[in-house]
Amino acid sequence: MTFDPNDPALRRRRPRPQLARRDVLRGGVWLGVGLGVAPLLAACGDSGSSGQTANGTAPYPLARPDKPVTLAIKDSNPPIADGLDPEEGGTFNILNYAQYMAPGVMKDFGKKHNVSVEVTPYNNYDEMLAKIRQPGESFDLVFPGPSVLGKMVYAELLQPLNHSYVPHLKNVWPEYQDPWYDKGAQYTVPYTIYGTGIMYRADRVTSVPEVGYDLLWDKAYTGKVYLLDDRQEAIGMSLLRNKITRDVNTSNADDLKRAVDSLIELIGLVKVKTDVNAYSEVPEGTATVHQCWSGDPIAGQYYLPKGETPEVLGYWRPTDPTEYVIGSDNIAIPKSAKKPVLAHMLINDLLDEKIGLQNFGWNGYQPPITKLSATYLVDQGYIPKNLSNAVVVPSDFKGGLTFYEVSPSTEALWQNDWARFKAGA
Amino acid sequence: MPDRASDHDRATRRLWPALALPGTFWLIALFVVPFYAVMAVAFSGRINLFNEPIPAWNPLNWQSSTVTNVIKDSFTPSGVYHEVWVRTAIYSFWALVICVAIGYPVAYYAARLAGKRRGLILALILAPWWINYITRMLAWVNLLQDDGYVNKALGWFGIPPHSWLSGSSFTVVWALAYGYLPYFIIPLFASLDRIDQRLLEASRDLGVGSVRTFLHVTLPLSRLGLITSLVITALPMAGDYYTNTIVSGSPNTNMVGNQIELFLLEGPQKNIGAGLVLVLSLVLMFFMFYYLLLTQRASREATR
Repeated sequence: MTFDPNDPALRRRRPRPQLARRDVLRGGVWLGVGLGVAPLLAACGDSGSSGQTANGTAPYPLARPDKPVTLAIKDSNPPIADGLDPEEGGTFNILNYAQYMAPGVMKDFGKKHNVSVEVTPYNNYDEMLAKIRQPGESFDLVFPGPSVLGKMVYAELLQPLNHSYVPHLKNVWPEYQDPWYDKGAQYTVPYTIYGTGIMYRADRVTSVPEVGYDLLWDKAYTGKVYLLDDRQEAIGMSLLRNKITRDVNTSNADDLKRAVDSLIELIGLVKVKTDVNAYSEVPEGTATVHQCWSGDPIAGQYYLPKGETPEVLGYWRPTDPTEYVIGSDNIAIPKSAKKPVLAHMLINDLLDEKIGLQNFGWNGYQPPITKLSATYLVDQGYIPKNLSNAVVVPSDFKGGLTFYEVSPSTEALWQNDWARFKAGA
Repeated sequence: MPDRASDHDRATRRLWPALALPGTFWLIALFVVPFYAVMAVAFSGRINLFNEPIPAWNPLNWQSSTVTNVIKDSFTPSGVYHEVWVRTAIYSFWALVICVAIGYPVAYYAARLAGKRRGLILALILAPWWINYITRMLAWVNLLQDDGYVNKALGWFGIPPHSWLSGSSFTVVWALAYGYLPYFIIPLFASLDRIDQRLLEASRDLGVGSVRTFLHVTLPLSRLGLITSLVITALPMAGDYYTNTIVSGSPNTNMVGNQIELFLLEGPQKNIGAGLVLVLSLVLMFFMFYYLLLTQRASREATR
């Protein structure tokens, strides 16, 4: 049996915490004592390292669009020199979410440079940090979002980029050549950008209300209503839907309580469920309404049952970009990289219009490359016309809302309220 | 001569404890140390930059506030985790009832009545273990979905389709019972198999009917096996968090294992997760001790 990575039947994408099936597989370990041990033992080695207590403030500036951050470059951790020859042979190690880069792209790259490309997957940033910090472990590429970047640079887990190897950076939106979380793109280049909206079965949902979030509160879809299994996305959506605040990083306990109370309503009202599989569940019909990332409807067209066309899928997003939650993932090179020159070259490849398009065609998540506009993608047949609103545009990034890195105490506040929802009381 | 004997005694005295060494090592490495680590995290509450807990290895530095709060939130009716504890207890209870109702007759049949087919029946009971637990649960998702075979089969009898997977407690309880049934049957089978046939014959000879023989001879003699089975099944069931995730996925069927997962998987509060693990372990240990007490009493009675 041959495996063709470009076979559309094999396309899938999973950019964010896969709380559903994979965690569950990993969790084949019995709970009880077992589960607690792994992270604990990992933590044993370095108690008290570069520390910060539960309520302390971060020892580095937290980036915000109105307070952009230029990440420090230390003499002890310089970028690689210009004009080096690429490394050859051996393995090229990528640390990434599972199924987040097209196998075809990796295969071509490996063939071209005579390396075998291997992916070590993670489900969330805690896990990524634990893996990248393992002593003796080396990775050549990693995909940190803005919310985890500051601490990784502070802890010297990443190396600065040498832009002379990345001429394709000029292909990306100007906003992303100098983003607020990494002025001058010194450590990162953008990988994907996506918004958070509502995916639905257009054949079952006859009329979409002005505020599409209300579909989630519609009793007609009981048992087939899903929230993203992600506390920031779910609570953030409720903050916006109920017009509690536009600050989706709020540390106001009352606001959070109101938002989560509204989510708890969904349990009794529509028996709401949570996971991150909108891309397959809506096309397959398990879900009628699913909070989702904008890459889900695009990938969803490959999950339709035989005989159904993409017209049965619909995507709703807030029309006002200042109410649209935007996320992005970046590419960076770990300090431990053994093949930093090759890493720069793969970064450059991914920002290439053709390779970027190939990668997008597989995972459904768009790179912010100027040429790959909604019109272009529809014309090229990558996106059906009815889903063209799932393409994120530069004004969304400029005006949109984003989950920032917040203090551990704010994170704890959100987590406790999320636990209240998850307890289903 | 006497010297030699005492040498021999001393050697045996050293031999027996030495034989216990591997077991002791196992117990310390895989239970005592991890359990202490869980405590050190639950009683610490400090984290490093990377959201990793910094365990408080020295008990003098322990802070009890997290664990006290976890206990309060678990066992007061208005507590955040109260509902999941109640749900865990109810689901485990009913799943165990189903296990007894299905598992006891099966074990009884296999042990007493199966004759030549006993090997086949045991093989059939163990057959599901050839397939991964998660895979079996995912298979149920296919069977139970709205247009799945279960609803199709119901349709033949004119029963309207039911949404089995929309956050139904009923489905979760049956899934738990299905998943853990083999764990229940095997120890029970072993204990029923050990019952001395002559005791049953004696009972029959004394003119007791088969129902009363079962109630007054078989059942009391298999009581310990039954309790062993219940304990072995209940322990993993109470900590389960993936069965309900797969067949329901709704917050209104979440159990305490799901709350533990929520706090341990990511975020700055792994100490709360550790606190919940601690409380769950204590609750289960309580049943464990009760079980040990029963077995001890039984063995004392046996030697008397």
